[in-house]
Amino acid sequence: MAVVKVYSTPTCPWCVKAKQYFASKNIPYTDINVAVDRNAAMEMVQKSGQQGVPVIEIDGNIIVGFDQARIDSLLGLS
Amino acid sequence: MLQLKMKKQEESVKSSIYDLVIIGGGPAGLTAGIYAGRARLKTLIIEEKIAGGQSATTEHLENYPGFKDGVGGIELAMMMEEQSKRFSAEFAYEKAISVKLKGDTKEIILSSREVKAKSIIIASGASPKKLKADGADKFHGKGISYCATCDGALFRDKKIVIVGAGNSAIEEGIFMQRFTKDITFVQDLPYLTAEKILQERIQNYSDTKFYLNTLVKSVNGNDRVESVTVTDRKANKEYQIPADGVFVYIGYNPITDFLDKQVKLSEQGYIITDENMKTNIDGVFAAGDVRVKDFRQVITAASDGATAAHSAEKYLENK
Repeated sequence: MAVVKVYSTPTCPWCVKAKQYFASKNIPYTDINVAVDRNAAMEMVQKSGQQGVPVIEIDGNIIVGFDQARIDSLLGLS
Repeated sequence: MLQLKMKKQEESVKSSIYDLVIIGGGPAGLTAGIYAGRARLKTLIIEEKIAGGQSATTEHLENYPGFKDGVGGIELAMMMEEQSKRFSAEFAYEKAISVKLKGDTKEIILSSREVKAKSIIIASGASPKKLKADGADKFHGKGISYCATCDGALFRDKKIVIVGAGNSAIEEGIFMQRFTKDITFVQDLPYLTAEKILQERIQNYSDTKFYLNTLVKSVNGNDRVESVTVTDRKANKEYQIPADGVFVYIGYNPITDFLDKQVKLSEQGYIITDENMKTNIDGVFAAGDVRVKDFRQVITAASDGATAAHSAEKYLENK
C-alpha cells in the first residue's frame, strides 16, 4: 500500500478536493495541517519548494496541487 | 419488428442528448442546475476544477442572504452542489475544450468525450489576473499566491504585501490579520474600491499600511521572496517594501477561450447578453461573472443562473 501524505490547510478547497478523492478511492492518507504544525509547514516547503497547499507526497514523490493525473499514475489508478 | 427496433434506437440516441448543458459549476451554474432540475430538464453541469468556482476559495461570505453569521465559501458551494444533485443534475468534472453552438443540436467537446445538448448556459466565470512584474513567474507558488484562504496560514508572523484593494483584496487582508500584523496593501488607483464596511474594518487596524496610486515593479529575492519594489505614480518615486509573501487580487479575466469567438463578446472579452441572459445565438445563454455586468457577486451570479435556466426552459418549450 502506498504511503500518502496530504499537507493542507483547513480553509483550502483544493485540499478538501484532494482528500475527498483519496477517500473515494479508498486510499488511506495522513492529513498534515500545516496551519497549526509549523515544523510540518517547514518540511513541506523544504520538500516541495512551494509555499502553497496542497502538497501531496506519495511514496516520497512530491505532487504540487491537486494533480489528479499524477496521483492516478503514481497510485496505478485508471 | 425492425421498425420498432429502429424506433427504440432513435429514442436512445435522442435520450443521450441533454436538454441543457451548463458549462461551469460556480454559483451561476449550480443555481441554473437547481432550477433546470426542478423544471425536469435533463441537465449536465461541466466543472473543470472545483464546485463553487472562485467563491469556493473565499474563506467567509458575509453578504449572502440567509446566513446571518456568514457562511464559508466552500461550504456554500458544496451545499449548492448537493442541492442541484438532489434535483437530478448530472456532473462531469472535466474541461470543456470546444463547442459548436450553431443549430438545434449543440456539441460540447470535453477532455474525455463529446456531449450533445438542445441548449447551453455558459457560466464559465473568470480567473484571477496574474501579476505582471519582474519576478512574478519565478515566485509563483513560492511566495506569490492568488489564494490567501488556501496559503495564508503558511505566512504566520511574516511580512506580507497584498496587491489590489477591491473586495477580494480587503477580505483576504482581514483574513490574513489572524496570522500576521505586518500587512501592506499596494493599489494602482488613488483610492480603495472595496465596500465601505470592509474599508472601515481594515483601516481599524492601525498596523496596516497602504500604498495608493502605486504599481508593483518587481518581486525580489534569491530562493524566496524578500521584498517588493513599487513605484508611486504621482510622486514618481520608488519604494522597497520588505516582504515574505505577496497575495494578488487585481481583478479577473473572463474564461471564454473555448468558445472560439462564436458568441458575441464585449471589448473586454465578456459575453454580451440581454436581461434574460440570451446571447446572440439561439439556445445559448450566459450567466455569472463571464457576462457583461457591473456587479460580480455570488448573489448576482445565482440570480443570473436562475434567469438563464428559466430562459432555457422557455426556449425548449417553444421549439
